[in-house]
Amino acid sequence: MSTDVTGVFVRLKLSLLRNGLRQSGGRRAAWIASAVVALLFAALQLLGLILLRGTAHADALVVLLVAVLALGWAVMPLFFPGGDETLDPTRLVMLPLRPRPLVRALLVASLVGIGPLFTLCLLTGSVIAVAHGAAAFAVGVVGVALALLVCVALARAVAAANIRLLTSRKGRDLAVLSGLVVAIGAQVVNFAAQRIGSAGLGRLDPLADVLRWVPPGSAIGAVRSVSEGSYGAAALQLGLCALALAALIALWSRHLTRLMTAPDGSTLQAAGESAVGEKGAGGAARLLPAGRTGTVMERSLRYVWRDPKTKAAWVTSLVIGLIVPVFNAVQGTGSIYFACFAAGMLGIQMYNQFGQDTSAFWMVAMTISSPRDAYVELRGRALALLLITLPYATLVTVVTTALIGDWRRLPEVLGLSFALLGAMLATGAWTSARFPYSIPQEGHKNVAPGQVGLAWISIFGGMVAAALLCAPVIAVTIWLRVSEGGEAWTWLLLPAGAAYGAALTLLGLRLAAPRTAARLPEILTAVSKG
Amino acid sequence: MTSAAVRVHGLWKRFGQQVAVAGIDLELPAGKFIGLVGPNGAGKTTTLSMVTGLLRPDQGSVEVVGHDVWRDPAEVKARIGVLPEGLRLFERLSGRELLGYTGRLRGLPGAEVDKRATQLLDVLDLAGAQHKLVVDYSTGMRKKIGLAAALLHNPEVLFLDEPFEGVDPVSAQTIRGVLERFTASGATVVFSSHVMELVESLCDWVAVMAAGRIRAHGPLAEVRGEAPSLQQAFLELVGAHGRDAGTDLDWLGGGTR
Repeated sequence: MSTDVTGVFVRLKLSLLRNGLRQSGGRRAAWIASAVVALLFAALQLLGLILLRGTAHADALVVLLVAVLALGWAVMPLFFPGGDETLDPTRLVMLPLRPRPLVRALLVASLVGIGPLFTLCLLTGSVIAVAHGAAAFAVGVVGVALALLVCVALARAVAAANIRLLTSRKGRDLAVLSGLVVAIGAQVVNFAAQRIGSAGLGRLDPLADVLRWVPPGSAIGAVRSVSEGSYGAAALQLGLCALALAALIALWSRHLTRLMTAPDGSTLQAAGESAVGEKGAGGAARLLPAGRTGTVMERSLRYVWRDPKTKAAWVTSLVIGLIVPVFNAVQGTGSIYFACFAAGMLGIQMYNQFGQDTSAFWMVAMTISSPRDAYVELRGRALALLLITLPYATLVTVVTTALIGDWRRLPEVLGLSFALLGAMLATGAWTSARFPYSIPQEGHKNVAPGQVGLAWISIFGGMVAAALLCAPVIAVTIWLRVSEGGEAWTWLLLPAGAAYGAALTLLGLRLAAPRTAARLPEILTAVSKG
Repeated sequence: MTSAAVRVHGLWKRFGQQVAVAGIDLELPAGKFIGLVGPNGAGKTTTLSMVTGLLRPDQGSVEVVGHDVWRDPAEVKARIGVLPEGLRLFERLSGRELLGYTGRLRGLPGAEVDKRATQLLDVLDLAGAQHKLVVDYSTGMRKKIGLAAALLHNPEVLFLDEPFEGVDPVSAQTIRGVLERFTASGATVVFSSHVMELVESLCDWVAVMAAGRIRAHGPLAEVRGEAPSLQQAFLELVGAHGRDAGTDLDWLGGGTR
């Protein structure tokens, strides 16, 4: 009976894989391309690890790789819940299955696929890199099997424990943020790799000494221990890995049993969970100005935190605005003027303001009946943005200056930042009114199909215009730098840049407001696609 | 003359090749419960969008309580409440926050907004979910919070597009009660629907739409005429009558195998 179930699940998994090939042209091409890239990458990893054999810090690197891989398995079901359809056990609720055979079947089935194959390649490569002697290779075979099972069971246990979350609205919100996490993670890994590259692999050793005892890394650690002749340590490490596997399976099986037997409470429990704390927000909101301005600011700021799309855009801007100037300064390749990058990145958030509202813009449109209303609406949104942007751009500029150590240039860089921010707000407000486009709420796309051209005009046209608007401040900066005795006056650029930026913003809002008020139905149509 | 809540003249709207609204002339009397009925795709939503200023017509004029929607938006927008179909709300706000936001955008004083919001949430049976995000609301709850947002500034004319679509019977009854109370005080409600029984039981004035035109309008009894029910009258008006399924599908049915 149990072998039957296992066979069925393995065949199910294989058909799901095969069905990747039976989609429409573009998607099939994407599916094949991603599969080929993954396999190629796995082969290269394997080759690289084999070449690594015998080098000084190979074992430390290998253990670290396995740990990162395990982390990947743990977070993957959280960010890509649609990635493996057999992950969701609630789909099996209606079937008459007992927990024990089911766990076995699911575990075996989850060994089928590109992810497990990739992991197998990496683990095999790791063993080849560190194993010396027949005993070590024998232990390696057991280690690879154990480590692979731990990875797979980890993903299953995480998925089963969080399935309520994953199928709920919050889970879908989380999925929107996943691309961001991957991008930032890649940046961090990239930076760490650069640091290690410059400082030597020896830096990894203390970390590896710990990870060598943490499953599934301990399975690879055991191979090294055997190679060195410390059989006791190896047995302990393998034992730890086996223990971890048993614990994960027990945990998974418990969640699975509960999911299969308990009624679906997703609607019941949602009632208490998503309630928002009114007290805290209300307290802070009292500090905002009264009337439409404060109301608009409050709503904008709430959306920065609560709307996954808006949040993802903000986090991207905040992180990139910080990383580019600061990392460059740390590596000694940066200029202090890179600090203006923060202002530029954050200014982008003013673009396509009404597209960020989605079709809910009708609620705003119903309350705008004059250019004055539109002006106050746009000004409220700009103020909400400034509330975050102004201190942040200042902070990034100060930090960059401190890292480079050129304090005399701080005023002019700040002045330039503020001028650029003002120009971005002005062009952002204007393009929001003139070139609005829809932002689809599901998935990773940020432009609705058919509006890509519009988005390009809006963002790139706006950014070029913003750069041109800043030209006077840039020109004055250069002039003061090159002319004799001009340096003494560069501090003037701080007030001048700030005033210029503020004037630009006001002008931009003034120009955008009548356009917004006159084009309300057109804007609503443009932002309602998707 | 002043008794018309809405006056529509020569209203046209085309989307590419397709004509959605083909020249509508209509006067809706004030203080009535008015139903705009028609099959799917008849142009009800397009018409309501143009009447409320959310969609620009190709031709024609719309007056609401004596003010032109496009030339005098300030006067019109202050006097109407709208619940559109197929458009989102600001769903990442809680129900109470959404009402607070809408009321304040409309220029009502904060304390008054909060007072009215509390009462509306109570009456519409949403008090228990007032701190829940609207994105987690069910269809019925969304319609109710949309209705609350549309009523908050005490409009003279309320436009509701399919307010009962996908709404459970309990919520529907609640919405009905609120709307009946609202019209009893002399306000006008205009709502679209394709459920004839509902329109028949609620409305005292109806306009029948099909293929972008008004086929009939007037007091309910007048439109219904000789027909036994509004449903029958409607089927005759839109020309769907006599399409009998008798001869086809004669194999369908239990017990004849």
